[in-house]
Amino acid sequence: MSITLDQVTKHYGGVPVVNDVSLDIGDGEFFVLLGPSGSGKSTLLRAIAGLTGVDHGRIALHGRDVTHVGARKRGVGLVFQNYALFRHMTVADNIEFALRVRHVRGKVRRQRRQELLRLVALEGMDQRLPAQLSGGQQQRVAVARALAHKPEVLLLDEPFGALDAKIREELRRTIREVQRELGITTVLVTHDQDEAFAMADRIGIMNLGRLLEVGAPHDLYSRPATRFVATFLGAANLLLARRTTDGIQVAGTTIAAGDRTPAVYEHEVVAVVRPEEVEIAPARAALASNYLAGGVVDEVVFTGALEKLRVRLDEAAQTPLLAHSGADGESVELLQVTRTQHEQRGFSVAPGQSVAVGVRRVHVLPTPLSSFTACAATPQLAQELSREPLLMELAARMKTRIGTRCEPKLGVADAEGEASADFVGTTVIASQTDCAHRAEWLLRRGARDLLVLPAGAAAPQRVLIHWMGEAARSATLAVSASVLRHVPAEAVYVGIFPGQGNGGRDAPGIRELLDARSEAQAAHGLEMRTELRFGEVAEELARRLAEAPAQMLIVGVTDLARFAERFRNLLDGGQWPVLIVHRDAP
Amino acid sequence: MSLRAPSVLPGFGLTFGFTTFFLSAMVLLPLAAMVLAAGSMHWSDFVHVVFSARALGSYKLSFGASFLAASINVVFGFIIAWTLVRYEFPGRKLIDALIDMPFALPTAVSGIALTTVFAQSGWIGRYLEPLGIKVAYTWLGVTLALTLISMPFAVRAVQPALLEVQRDLEDAAETLGAGRFYVFRRIILPTVLPALLTGFTLSFARAVGEYGSVIFIAGNLPMKTEITPLLIVIHLEQFDYQGAAALGLVMLVMSFTVLFAINLLQAWGRRRHLLGANS
Repeated sequence: MSITLDQVTKHYGGVPVVNDVSLDIGDGEFFVLLGPSGSGKSTLLRAIAGLTGVDHGRIALHGRDVTHVGARKRGVGLVFQNYALFRHMTVADNIEFALRVRHVRGKVRRQRRQELLRLVALEGMDQRLPAQLSGGQQQRVAVARALAHKPEVLLLDEPFGALDAKIREELRRTIREVQRELGITTVLVTHDQDEAFAMADRIGIMNLGRLLEVGAPHDLYSRPATRFVATFLGAANLLLARRTTDGIQVAGTTIAAGDRTPAVYEHEVVAVVRPEEVEIAPARAALASNYLAGGVVDEVVFTGALEKLRVRLDEAAQTPLLAHSGADGESVELLQVTRTQHEQRGFSVAPGQSVAVGVRRVHVLPTPLSSFTACAATPQLAQELSREPLLMELAARMKTRIGTRCEPKLGVADAEGEASADFVGTTVIASQTDCAHRAEWLLRRGARDLLVLPAGAAAPQRVLIHWMGEAARSATLAVSASVLRHVPAEAVYVGIFPGQGNGGRDAPGIRELLDARSEAQAAHGLEMRTELRFGEVAEELARRLAEAPAQMLIVGVTDLARFAERFRNLLDGGQWPVLIVHRDAP
Repeated sequence: MSLRAPSVLPGFGLTFGFTTFFLSAMVLLPLAAMVLAAGSMHWSDFVHVVFSARALGSYKLSFGASFLAASINVVFGFIIAWTLVRYEFPGRKLIDALIDMPFALPTAVSGIALTTVFAQSGWIGRYLEPLGIKVAYTWLGVTLALTLISMPFAVRAVQPALLEVQRDLEDAAETLGAGRFYVFRRIILPTVLPALLTGFTLSFARAVGEYGSVIFIAGNLPMKTEITPLLIVIHLEQFDYQGAAALGLVMLVMSFTVLFAINLLQAWGRRRHLLGANS
């Protein structure tokens, strides 16, 4: 491996800017770190270069641990967005800078300079000053300069940001050619997905300091695992669907799922439909693909090769389309469609026209959190709960919706009777006295993920994770990973062993802890720290939560016996959000 | 120089006229009057006044101490500006504002303050005395006063230039393997050099013209701690206007020469910087 990052973390003012990032980049690989501004990608690059220290974790280059080695001795080449050429030096002096520092003889320097200038196609420009070159030429000089000392790793920090489209394309090609010719391991940071697609062997997508997904461009595009990647990498329509034994059920139509994993139980899922996978036709019968709903064309934009449409789906169809942010940041519930010239010739549309909408391909996100339902004894209380700031923030970040639901018997102690309907997605209840009883009432009637939310709860900076019973382990990890992808918080697994203090020699316990960590990493891409405590589970968790503000607990349970009694301290009137993941033991 | 160039202020004719009028009334005419006054002297009188041992001593002190003060200020002004630009610390804004104090203070006040502190019985002077260092009433005191009074010029000249030195340049140099001293010498210094020269010029010009603060701490011993502006005042008090004008002319010529030389140096540096030369 050329570059190995192990749980790299960097905080600025208590906020994790780079949050537990682990990554291996192979020899000669062209790796692109892609993410919106503020996602921590540049900080991570600077950490690899040695210009920024890390608070936690290790960095190795070619097997050599360089975590505490300065930038000077790391042997990397770095190219900046604004070129960062030395303006008082000629092109020749700029390129030879690294060689002069190393006291390389003049003849060798000149030879190397000629070689590099040829590589970046700038022969004969030796004696120019940077001010006499165009932006594209300056960046070529910067690339040549960064390669002069034959670094093992080339790092590019948004190198095309300041250039216009034509030159950008040209320079991309040059850099890719240079990279292939030298076979040098390269990391490029960008927020431009076209750039990432055009250049990368593999792409790593960052958001809120976390490395969400890593993969080949095509895999990431066609099979994203998270909402963020689905919507950031190209356009995507997110729909709430149900996974059934037959396939994916959207708005009354069942579409065969791409991956044929049989559903153990019916549940709500988030489905991704790419705009180019949507078909429109004059009538349902004319569709070649699965019918989704009828709709009205809202907007038609011609962009040259493609036509971009927005279609408002009929309300009667009750299509569970999730809102996405429009160009002006406002959330809109319109289906995005792109059509090729060929499709346009077959059926041309204008705004206001009624069409039938079909879907060719659906991808289901493996995320366990689909939507939220605020649940209370009266409709007003449920409405109020659905407007809790933290809940709204979570829903907005997850690009999902908050429904409401009224359970009149919820507040009644020891109420018998059934729930009013099936539970869909994550159920939310307010934290109050006798909350543990309500939670048990809901869990016994089929609620699988239950969020207990105190009024005015703050966004968590730390998420504590624990599960009781192995059956809930995998689900708890999956839910935790999903939450942590949307919240800039650190994840801590709290292992709790009965008894006092002899746990240090409790080998099975420690193994369980390490297993949990590696499963989280391997199966869910979740990096978490581990903590050990001793005592009764619910008590220890309550104690741990009381230790610091802005914490959240995700706890997995299998056995509901004496649930209310055990969790009374933790839930009744607690000041922290608790997400209960309930899975029956098989 | 199009007369129709769009502009906020009315017309080139009016603004240029005002500029020349202002410059003439405030700068050129008084200077010309001084030259005329000195010119009306007899040649031998002029030489007598200007090359008297006392006058020569005062030139040496005035220009020597000013040169020294400006040099000191370039070094320490750079360090102060660096601290203010590069570090974030509580009280930074306050210190930034304090830099301008010598501007705002009547120079006589600075002189009295310095004398109080550095006199033989003063707060600092009493500790320097046993070491055999006398500050007040020596050339050292003169230099000290001039340094204090011209310090803001150096700091304010360098500050904006340092703000423009991008951190990326230092980062780039560091990843290329350069050590701190190398980065400073090859990257930072060349970039701020023009500003440093400007700071030097302004400091020097201010120091040469300084009068108020120096006379308190200098002691004003002829030949030893007497600065040229003071000698001019002494001539004036004896109603020797021509003698004063003659000394003034000498200062004018010398100051002009120094400023001209530094400007040439800067122009040369700029040309090298922007248009390129083979290195």
